[in-house]
Amino acid sequence: MSMSDLNHLMQSTGLWRASSIDSQYLEACPTGFELLDRELPGSGWPASGITELLQKQAGIGELRILTPALAHLSHSQTRWILFVSPPYIPYAPALAQAGIDLGRVLICQPKSAKDYLWVIENALSSQSCSAVIAWPAGILEKQIRRLQVAAKTGNCLGVLFRPDSVSVNASPAELRIRLRTHEHSKDNSAMVAKVIKRFGRWESSDILLHFDDELHRPMPDFSELLLQPYQARDFEAIKHTRTIQPAEHPPTAYEYQ
Amino acid sequence: MSTSKSNEDIWLCLHFPDLPVEVFSRQSKTQQTPVVVTQRQRVAFMNPSARNIGILAGSSMNTALTINQQVVSFERNDQKELEKLEQLAQWAYQFTPCVTIKPPSSLILDVSGCMKLFKGLGNLKASIGSGLEKLGFRVSMGINRTPLSALLFAEAGMPDNLGEAKESLGSVPIHHLRIDDNIKDALHSMGISSCKQLLQLPVDGLNRRYGVFFTDYLSRLTGEKPDPQKFISDRPRFRSDVTFMSDVTNLESLVFPMKRLLGELQAFLTGRQLQVNQFSFKLSHRSHQPKTFTVFLANPDNDQPMFLMLSQLQLEKINDLPEVDNLALAANHFFKAESDSGDLFHGTRFMQKDGKVHRKAEQAKATRLINMMTARLGPQSCFGLSAANDHRPELAWKPMRIATKPSKSMEPEHLEPNVRPLFLLPDPKQLSSANRHPTLSGKLELLQGPERIDFGWWDDNPVARDYYIARHSSGSVYWIFLNLKNDTWYLHGIFS
Repeated sequence: MSMSDLNHLMQSTGLWRASSIDSQYLEACPTGFELLDRELPGSGWPASGITELLQKQAGIGELRILTPALAHLSHSQTRWILFVSPPYIPYAPALAQAGIDLGRVLICQPKSAKDYLWVIENALSSQSCSAVIAWPAGILEKQIRRLQVAAKTGNCLGVLFRPDSVSVNASPAELRIRLRTHEHSKDNSAMVAKVIKRFGRWESSDILLHFDDELHRPMPDFSELLLQPYQARDFEAIKHTRTIQPAEHPPTAYEYQ
Repeated sequence: MSTSKSNEDIWLCLHFPDLPVEVFSRQSKTQQTPVVVTQRQRVAFMNPSARNIGILAGSSMNTALTINQQVVSFERNDQKELEKLEQLAQWAYQFTPCVTIKPPSSLILDVSGCMKLFKGLGNLKASIGSGLEKLGFRVSMGINRTPLSALLFAEAGMPDNLGEAKESLGSVPIHHLRIDDNIKDALHSMGISSCKQLLQLPVDGLNRRYGVFFTDYLSRLTGEKPDPQKFISDRPRFRSDVTFMSDVTNLESLVFPMKRLLGELQAFLTGRQLQVNQFSFKLSHRSHQPKTFTVFLANPDNDQPMFLMLSQLQLEKINDLPEVDNLALAANHFFKAESDSGDLFHGTRFMQKDGKVHRKAEQAKATRLINMMTARLGPQSCFGLSAANDHRPELAWKPMRIATKPSKSMEPEHLEPNVRPLFLLPDPKQLSSANRHPTLSGKLELLQGPERIDFGWWDDNPVARDYYIARHSSGSVYWIFLNLKNDTWYLHGIFS
């Protein structure tokens, strides 16, 4: 086949080429982390599709990497952000701190496993959610495929938190990212993400994500205070005292030193 | 109240000749079971399929069963007929507000005011006729200038008349008149058989002979005397039911009758520009305790397909009802429908900048999702979040009932200045401690703290706690506190 034949084929038949995935044509929601955005097709979380976040344990900042995107979605769209059976209560003051509009947040707690998938699928395809976040325990590949289709229909960002052990299995999700703690960051101001599935490109190398939030504000170390027991006040006595005596002012940290 | 004095009046009477049968079994093309209604042990009314196989009114039940074993019989129920007539009057309210109930089986409608809306009598009759056919009622319509003559025309099946009432009555045989049978006999023996002859007689003589009620009836019939009608008040209350010929054991087959009842509800609501936010179905059987379920909607609505879908979701959950012979639908709480006029400039370059129309559709979708979730999972399973003004972490948030959101954004009044975890444990979990330091199956290293929360000593739930941010040896970051009252460590949140 000569070069001109090839060119002809390219131009006339609309042949699909992997290199032609133009990241600009994929609708995406910026993650808020520049380094991560650079690695993702469309420079952000896929705005319609399933994203899998794989982690060994909870509490490593896995929800925090979503909050900038959720804050963006809650202000740019009037649709819901739905948490389906979160393992604990998403804490309203912390969500507000992250800039998420609480008026858009919805929590749903289905009781049975059947209802659980039903809710996720219907919410994804309903077109009335901008993001659906779920923690499915034992979800099957074919079920994720259905959710992926539903997310496409509903133009919705679907996020599934799954254990790290499933990273070796194939998944129809559009984007899969492994998350782990950063060994050298003592205070969890950083996390390591590794994209293991994305459109048009291979696995990424480790990406270091720095959290620039209040959690890592330097604070004086008061931990030696721990060694002195707290002198409990008699709460009952205070409750029944009309006039508060000066001595009964709440103790301050100063008094303990 | 209205009078029939004016010559412009047009009265339409809807007469339901098969009403006694139709309260038990409405007509439909698929309905083949012969049904008869008995009165004093004799067949009095029957449905078309019973008529077709040759059952006659007045024959005994044994005769009917000899003709066909399948015949289903019901005892006549006047109360049910009146209820059904009231429902039909409420249904007819969508055409005109002036509806009168004439027991036992007729409605009289003043349609003079709605000729323009329906573009003529023909269109009005067609839409009423097709509506009733869908509901499964056989109707005979009569049109005349006075209420009573319209009733007479409907019962006698006479053609429409828009001329003078008196002239039109000429050819009507007198046995159709609503008068005492003795008077009819007396008139017959005088050789009077048509209204024309009757109306030529002097009123004084008739008055003396047959009493004032008879002449009063005649003058109201002809329109010489005003005939005020008592119209139904629009009482927004919806009741309708379907009785099944044979017991229904498969609940899935209730979907079709359910759809029909919801269609009636929708017509009822459309006629009054109303919406509902809840309605209930009652599934009953003569030998079981009836079962009721209520469908709640997040927002008032009038949308039959959605009603049906939500009802089906609830129906699927019922599993302890072996059989059903009656399905009833009721709705009592109504809301004024918001006017649903579209944007005149929608789709043009003059379209409103805020895209109102678009947003309305979006809201409808959001409402639909909430409706579906609450119908399937129960009203408690879905909630929103809001921040509360309290320093105690477990009281600094509260679940919120979802109403018309997500329409407006909610800005918290104040932001918590200190760091808070994204996940909060519903109940703090006690940690073990070694040498006054907390442990959680591994070492916990304190990163930040303490943040003292000493609050609520004036109410029944005082807290005195020092909060720390701690990092577990596995890398997770926790929010823990030292309860100052009992010197114990607790885990309260996860920096997820």
